[in-house]
Amino acid sequence: MIPLAHYLIFSGILFAIGVAGVIVRRNIIVVLMCLEMMLSAANVSLVAFSRAQGTDGIPVYDAQILALFVVGIAAAEVAIGLALIVALFRARKTVESTALTTLKD
Amino acid sequence: MTETIQPMYNWCEFAPTFGLVGLAVILLMADAFLPKFPKQAYAIAGAIGCAVAAYASAAGENLMDYFAALACVATGVCLLISYDYRKITCESVNGGLTQEGSGEFNILPLIATAGICALSKAQDLITLFVSLEVVTLSSYVLVGYYRRNQGSIEAGVKYLILGALSTGMLVFGAAWYFGMTGSFVLDPVIYAQALYGGEAHHPTIFLGFLMALCFLLFGAFFKVGAAPMHTWIPDVYQGAPTPISAFLAVSSKVAGFIALIVLLAPIAELSAALQAPITYLVTVMAVVGAATLLIGNLGAIPQTNAKRLLGYSSIGQAGFILAFFQGATCNVIDVIQYLLAYGLATLPAFCAIALIRRQRGSEEISAFRGLARTNPRLAFLITVCFASLAGVPLTAGFLVKLKAFIAILQANLSFAWMGWAMLIIMIICAAAGFYYYFKVIRAMYWEKPQAADTPISIPVSSGAIITICAILLIITGTMPLLYSYTF
Repeated sequence: MIPLAHYLIFSGILFAIGVAGVIVRRNIIVVLMCLEMMLSAANVSLVAFSRAQGTDGIPVYDAQILALFVVGIAAAEVAIGLALIVALFRARKTVESTALTTLKD
Repeated sequence: MTETIQPMYNWCEFAPTFGLVGLAVILLMADAFLPKFPKQAYAIAGAIGCAVAAYASAAGENLMDYFAALACVATGVCLLISYDYRKITCESVNGGLTQEGSGEFNILPLIATAGICALSKAQDLITLFVSLEVVTLSSYVLVGYYRRNQGSIEAGVKYLILGALSTGMLVFGAAWYFGMTGSFVLDPVIYAQALYGGEAHHPTIFLGFLMALCFLLFGAFFKVGAAPMHTWIPDVYQGAPTPISAFLAVSSKVAGFIALIVLLAPIAELSAALQAPITYLVTVMAVVGAATLLIGNLGAIPQTNAKRLLGYSSIGQAGFILAFFQGATCNVIDVIQYLLAYGLATLPAFCAIALIRRQRGSEEISAFRGLARTNPRLAFLITVCFASLAGVPLTAGFLVKLKAFIAILQANLSFAWMGWAMLIIMIICAAAGFYYYFKVIRAMYWEKPQAADTPISIPVSSGAIITICAILLIITGTMPLLYSYTF
């Protein structure tokens, strides 16, 4: 039986890597992958907590329901994100975030 | 596990949501299967649907229903702006020869509004998260809809990245909320259990719960445009199609404040019951409020683009609205009033920008030049709207800003000096507002029109929006003075 803390540390590290990737990376496709990683990290916590909160080995299913919703919404987000990236590539011939310079102060 | 499950929600509550989604699906089918049908009809149908949904929402007895009604009306107005803006939409989508592919632009706002209606009913984090995402996901598509316009695509990508970041935070917060409480229900009893606990209470639960709450709040701050999560607002407002900028400025902001109230109302109830605000959260809210005010109002000063100016203005106004949340309070009625005054002034401002963009081809403040000579009545109505945003007396904007100042004076902040610091910051920001809102008014009255500038022809619906909003601003700004000192 793996203790809850291990899952939480794993999910925390995954989340931190995701945030760091969003901030540091310049390629928008990689940024999108990092964003998905943040959502996966949250899912890991959700499922781990759902088991930890349960009694007699029966998890509390509320958290797993939210995890399913998160998966669905993450898929929708990727679909929209990739569509936008394709449109951006057609317009600019690049997917680097440093090329996003039309709008600035 | 054979206990009966008590449903938290009543299906009838969600009638406006289902109605709007149903209408959107019907219109999407029509868009797909009747290619010859004129696309601007969808905008009118959507606006009528929004009006009906607003009426149905306002019939509810809960205060939150008024937020939903406000968002529905605002979306209806945005669809009417979009109706007058259809030529630009077609040009930016397919070159302007046909209307092909411009239908969804008028239909997706309905789905987003359905999300806001559902959000106003949210009592647990799953509903909150899903309905907030319905709003956000439709907004991503709408912001990046003008695919021949570089600014629009860029705004869409920026909005997507920062929006998904806030979604990640929201879900992570929700996971920890569940971990600390064992439930997704947002209820003062559960908050109290996690914060002050029962017999088996562990200090880490207190900290974990606070962390969860902060993550959740940052998710809501993103939609509101509050300080650390405000960076998307100027870029996205500037790049997005003007009707969608108006939608983001009003409807989407209403959604953010609904989420903020749903998250903070239990805290307010709890601190009122215990006479002891949770100091950490009060400090976080105060810092966020002060930073939002400063960034929004001082950032707006050097702007030359009218949409970008309104973007910073919306950050600044959000800072004023956050005053109602200071000191672990949550004055729902004041927030509604402020949002109403803000929406009544912001929607016609975007409407005017759309008119001027269509006929003078520019969204800069300088494109308002000499409007007082060419269109004196339009110039006067726009002046009323911007004066209300700045908070000139005898407009609605003055009264609600005054209430924000009173709220700060009455707020029970962690330290006494914080209240005074907030008050000074608010005074500075209100003064800055007078400067940057009056830049538009100055352009209209003090600058001369160029030789090629013809009077702007005003379509019926745009004219009606600007006139009605300006009249309502003056009525709501003067009426309370006539029969009551305390409104």
